[in-house]
Amino acid sequence: MALKHERTLAVALPNRPARERTARRQRNIARIILLAPAIIVVLATTTYPLISAALVSLRDWNLTYSPNPQAWVGLRNYSNALQDTSFINAIEVTLEFTVVSVALSMVLALAMALVLYKPGRANVLTRSVLILPFAVSAALKGYSWRFMLDPGYGVYSKMIGFLFPPAQGYLWFTQKSWSLVFLAMSEVWGWAPLMALMFIGGLSAISPEIFEAARVDGASAWTVFVHIMLPLLRPILFVAMLLKIIFSLKVFDQIVTMTGGGPGDSTQTLNYYVYQTAFRDLNMGYASALAIVLVIVLSLFSFVYVRIVIGKAE
Amino acid sequence: MSVRMGRNLGRSWHSLAILAILFFNLFPIIWIALTAFKNDRYMFTSDLAFPPTLSNFTTIFSPPLNFGPLVFNSVVVAVGTILIAIPVALTAAYVFSRHTFIGSTALLVWILSTQFIPGIVVAIPYFNLFRSINLLDTKTGLIIVELSAVVPYAIWMIKGFIDGLPREVEEAARIDGCSELGIVRHITLPLAVPGIAVATVFSLVATWNDFMFPLILTHQNAETLQIGLMSTVSATGIQWNWMSATGLVIMVPIFILSYLIRNYFVQGLTMGAVK
Repeated sequence: MALKHERTLAVALPNRPARERTARRQRNIARIILLAPAIIVVLATTTYPLISAALVSLRDWNLTYSPNPQAWVGLRNYSNALQDTSFINAIEVTLEFTVVSVALSMVLALAMALVLYKPGRANVLTRSVLILPFAVSAALKGYSWRFMLDPGYGVYSKMIGFLFPPAQGYLWFTQKSWSLVFLAMSEVWGWAPLMALMFIGGLSAISPEIFEAARVDGASAWTVFVHIMLPLLRPILFVAMLLKIIFSLKVFDQIVTMTGGGPGDSTQTLNYYVYQTAFRDLNMGYASALAIVLVIVLSLFSFVYVRIVIGKAE
Repeated sequence: MSVRMGRNLGRSWHSLAILAILFFNLFPIIWIALTAFKNDRYMFTSDLAFPPTLSNFTTIFSPPLNFGPLVFNSVVVAVGTILIAIPVALTAAYVFSRHTFIGSTALLVWILSTQFIPGIVVAIPYFNLFRSINLLDTKTGLIIVELSAVVPYAIWMIKGFIDGLPREVEEAARIDGCSELGIVRHITLPLAVPGIAVATVFSLVATWNDFMFPLILTHQNAETLQIGLMSTVSATGIQWNWMSATGLVIMVPIFILSYLIRNYFVQGLTMGAVK
C-alpha cells in the first residue's frame, strides 16, 4: 500500500530523485545527531578507561613515587603477575567463589521454582517476594550476613547452633572454606530467587499436556524432572548460569563489607586484589595489568552472553 | 483414601516448602528492619519482643554521623545519572531500532559489550583523571562514572521496547514532513513511556545501590549512603542497630521502585535474554 502511494508520488513529482537525495541526507544528519550523544558517553565512560588502563598496564607507575606514569616496561607487569602468589591466590579464590555460588544458586533456584511454578494463590503471593533480596544493595547484603553470622550474637549462628549443637558459637569467619561459603550465600540470597523467577517463567511455558501424558504413561516425578523439565529449561538454565558466572567473577562489594578479604587472603578475589593493589599499594601500573586480566576473563563469558541477547532480539 | 492421604501429605510438604522459601528470602530483611528499631541493649539479643525505639534514626541523622547529606548525595547522583542517561539512551535506541546502516549491528554489539566491563577498570583511570582535574570527591565525577554502567543498559532496554512499537505512525509523520528529532519527541517518546520507565527504575536502583565507585572516588563531600554503612563502625565494632537503620533507609525506596516494575524484573535483568 505504502509502496503504491510512493509510486503515484513519483509520477506526480518529476524532480523526485533530487528531493529524495536531500531527504536521505537530512535523515543521515538526523541519525548522527541522535546517535552522537550516546556514542560520546559510551566512548568516554567505557572505552576511554579501558584503553587508558591497557596503556598504563604497560608502564611502571606507583603513585607513591610519582603523580604521572613512568617508563614503558612492555609486558613486565603481566609477567610479574605470573610470579605473584597473591595474584595466583586471587585467581583461585575467584574461581572457587564462582563455582560455589553458581552451584548453590542454580540448585536453590531450581528447588524454589519447582515449588512455586504451578498456579495458585500461595504460589503467586510467594513469587512476589522473590524480587526483594536482589534489590538489597550488595554492600548491605555483606553487612547483614556478617551480623547474622556473628558467633556471639548473630541470629543465624544461634539457629545453626540450635539445629546442630556442635557448631554453637563457631567462628565461621576464621576459617577459609566457611568464609567463602557464607560470602557466596550472601550473594546467592539475592541471585537464587531471581533465577527462580526465570525458571518459573520457563516451567509455566511448558504445556500441561506434556506432564499429563507423562503421568498417564506412569512416569515418576523424578523422570518428569530429568527427562522433561530439565531439557526444556536448558536454554534458560544456560542464560541464568552465564549471567551468574559473569557477576560472580567480578564480586567485590561483599568482600569489603563482610570479610575484608580474610581470614588472611583467603577470600581475596581478583576484583578485590586489583582494588587493593591500586588504592592501598597505589601501584597503578600493576593494578591496571591485573584489571585487564579480569576484563579478558570476563569477556570470554560476556561475548557468549551478548551473542545470545542479540540473537534473541532478532 | 490413600490417594487423598497422599494428596494431603503432598499439600503439607508444599506448605512447608513455601514457608522455607519465605523464610530464606525475607528473614534477613525482617531482621535488619527489626534491629533498626532496637536500642543498644537489645541489639545483641535475638528477642522478637523489645521496646521499639527511633533513636537509631535520630543518631544516624545527627552529628557526628550526619547521614542527611549522604542521602542527598545518593539522590542527586542517582537522579543526575538518569537525567543524562535516559534522553541520551532514548535517541540512540530510536536510531538502532528504526534505522539500519553500515556498521549499525557492530555498533550495537560494541555498546552492549561495554555493559560487562568491570567497574574497577573504569574506576582506576577515572581516579587518576579526576585527581588531576579536581573532580575527586564530587557528585559530578560520580555521575560521570555511573553513566558507564547505565547508558549501555538503557539503550538496549529502550531499543527492545521501541522494536515492539508499530512503525505506521512514524511513517505517517515522516510523510507529513516531520523531522527525525520531531518524530522521537512527539511520537516515539510518548509511546515508549513504559519502556523508559522500566529502564529508569533499573538505572536508579543500580546507581543507588552502587558501592564501588563512591568507595573509590569519594571520601567526604560526595559520599553516598552506601558508604555511610561503613561509618557505623565504631571503636568497639559495628554498631549494628545504626547499620540496620541505615540499611532500612537504603532498602525502602528501592523496594518501592522494584515493586512498580516487578513484572519486568526478569526481562530487565537479563536484558531480554529471558522474557
